[in-house]
Amino acid sequence: MGTNLILVLVVLTNLKLLASSRLGASIRVVAAQGMVLGLLPVLAHVHELSLHFAAMALGTIALKGVVFPWLLFRALREAEVTREVEPYVGYISSILVGLMALAASFWLGGRLPVTTTGVSSLLVPSALFSILAGLFLIVARKRAVNQVLGFLVLENGIYTFGVGVVAETPFLVELGVLLDAFVAVFVMGIAVYHINREFDHIETDRLDRLKG
Amino acid sequence: MKHEALLWLLILVPAATGALALRLRSVRTILNVMCAGVGITVALGWYVAGKVLVSGPVSAGAEWLYLDALSAYNLGILLLIFGLSSAYASVYFRAELREGHLTLKQARLFGSLWCGALAAMTLVFVSNNLGIMWVGIEATTLLTGFLICVHVTGESLEAMWKYILICSVGVAFAFMGTLLVCASTHGLGLRAPEVLLWTTLRAHAALLNPGCLKAAFIFLLVGYGTKAGLAPMHNWLPDAHSQAPAPVSALFSGFMLNTALYCVMRYVPIVEAGTGNTGWGLRLLTGFGLLSILVAAAFILFQHDLKRLLAYHSVEHIGIITLGVGLGGLGTFAALFHTLNHSLCKTLAFFAAGRLGQMFGTHDMRKLAGTMRAAPVWGMGLFGSLLALIGVAPFALFMSELQILKAAMDKGAILALVFFLLGAGVVFVGALGHAIPLAWGKTASAVRPTRAGTLETLLVVLPLVLLLVLGMWMPGPLQTALNAAADVIRHAGPALAGSPGGVMP
Repeated sequence: MGTNLILVLVVLTNLKLLASSRLGASIRVVAAQGMVLGLLPVLAHVHELSLHFAAMALGTIALKGVVFPWLLFRALREAEVTREVEPYVGYISSILVGLMALAASFWLGGRLPVTTTGVSSLLVPSALFSILAGLFLIVARKRAVNQVLGFLVLENGIYTFGVGVVAETPFLVELGVLLDAFVAVFVMGIAVYHINREFDHIETDRLDRLKG
Repeated sequence: MKHEALLWLLILVPAATGALALRLRSVRTILNVMCAGVGITVALGWYVAGKVLVSGPVSAGAEWLYLDALSAYNLGILLLIFGLSSAYASVYFRAELREGHLTLKQARLFGSLWCGALAAMTLVFVSNNLGIMWVGIEATTLLTGFLICVHVTGESLEAMWKYILICSVGVAFAFMGTLLVCASTHGLGLRAPEVLLWTTLRAHAALLNPGCLKAAFIFLLVGYGTKAGLAPMHNWLPDAHSQAPAPVSALFSGFMLNTALYCVMRYVPIVEAGTGNTGWGLRLLTGFGLLSILVAAAFILFQHDLKRLLAYHSVEHIGIITLGVGLGGLGTFAALFHTLNHSLCKTLAFFAAGRLGQMFGTHDMRKLAGTMRAAPVWGMGLFGSLLALIGVAPFALFMSELQILKAAMDKGAILALVFFLLGAGVVFVGALGHAIPLAWGKTASAVRPTRAGTLETLLVVLPLVLLLVLGMWMPGPLQTALNAAADVIRHAGPALAGSPGGVMP
């Protein structure tokens, strides 16, 4: 029951992101999604709860719910730009694309030959939906910060998939993956800062000097 | 026991050197310490790789670290390229220092990230756990990102942003693939610590869920393929290669791409055995390889920037290697041989492009003409490496490409043969059209002829001589090593990959 609630929340936050017009709001939505997802391993494996899952949940919540938003807000503050998302694709069209992606995820999730070992039948579709929504946010938004958010949503999708389908990944591997995600966001934050200093804006559509 | 400790040292020595570089107070010391750290790693690595090639795989840390013929061969090339590039980097940055282009902060950044990247790449080769291997690849992306913009300019930032974003997304796909491989083991009753170990998966390959495995391989190929620069996921590559300082471009092209491709090669025997040896995965590889060759050929014709030209050559050659692995049989052998040849040749080409760029103040090929007169040593290096890159006999690249052609003939893959020849032909004509003016065109009067030092001459002569010798004569030990490495990829079926090296072709 709890897992289903979380997965529905993940789907809803993705749709909210597609429609959101403010960067600050988008960062908060992604933070909320990260925190909710942090609870997923605990709820999904409630019968075999161990230190491993508890540690993973804590790490995820701390990183995705607190550290990442803080880094991104800092990048945003230093960039001192208007807080509009500035989409290539409008909000209504984005939502429509999102709904199509959701349908595609359910279709594909049914065909993928993986067993979710009794977690929830919603798990694979919502994971795939997060991946598609993340990809869409990366290509359809101009702001560098928004592309980082897209990357995080994509990462969240893969994380969801990992929790449900592959419960037996060794702890060290998970630690490495979490560390990499942290460094990635950190590096991207610094990059946003430099891009802003150099170009006086953080719109990636003006990063167009290199061609051919 | 001794060899196990060496595997750990291979990661720890460069990591420690990188940390040390952050504390040093002079640019020259940083460059010297960097060279020393890399030198020690090269000596250790070659020793271990030699041991593995002679007497079979070594493992350590409850089988989490593992070096077999395939990884030892690749590690050997990586260290060769890294050693050459580090020597070159010290030449290149000393020139920048004299002109006042390099600050202490930039040197520290470069020194630490350079050694960090070496640690991450050796981690990829020595880890038996496919999850840790992925962590290593992602770490190389993040560490080398800032190497592109050691000199912060608008263009270098743009290149870095594209590189980090595209490669991170690509590599995230590869992680999805890794998870799917993990999911394909459901029902085999493997314990958690060993479920992602390559040796375990290889031993149980025939029992894995084929549907899961196919989905996994598609994700892995797209993911690691992005990092390797396979078309159509290669968009970040020309930008990053052209904007990075020359030693970094040499490393990117010379070995970072191969590191990602190595990850794909690791999965090939598992996928082949898991899908019943139908050649499904190999056909995918052939397709991606041919597409990369053709796309690169089209772009090579219209390049004006020397480093972008070299970058598209990388796309082409990564395509050729992928094609070789896809053809199987002799093709796998040739692909691995081509890896060595291409790495040597491409590093030399970027070395020359970097030094000539410093002398001429541009990488635009319309202004960069007559290099043979202005700087005979580097001019010869550039011309020689370009000739080798387009497959002129008797350089070694000609031999490995010929072997791949033969593999295509043997397999009766006529379509692949035709497309490969078409791509190679276009590249030959296009690149030769660029190379001749580069060497003998009319030099702008502002450029003063520059003499090269002994180390610089050695850096040019050594790779060229090696390429010439390998083109005409293959030493016995190298052939044994290549066969042993190729057998790790080729030997599908339930046989365990732990067999000692030195198997006949």
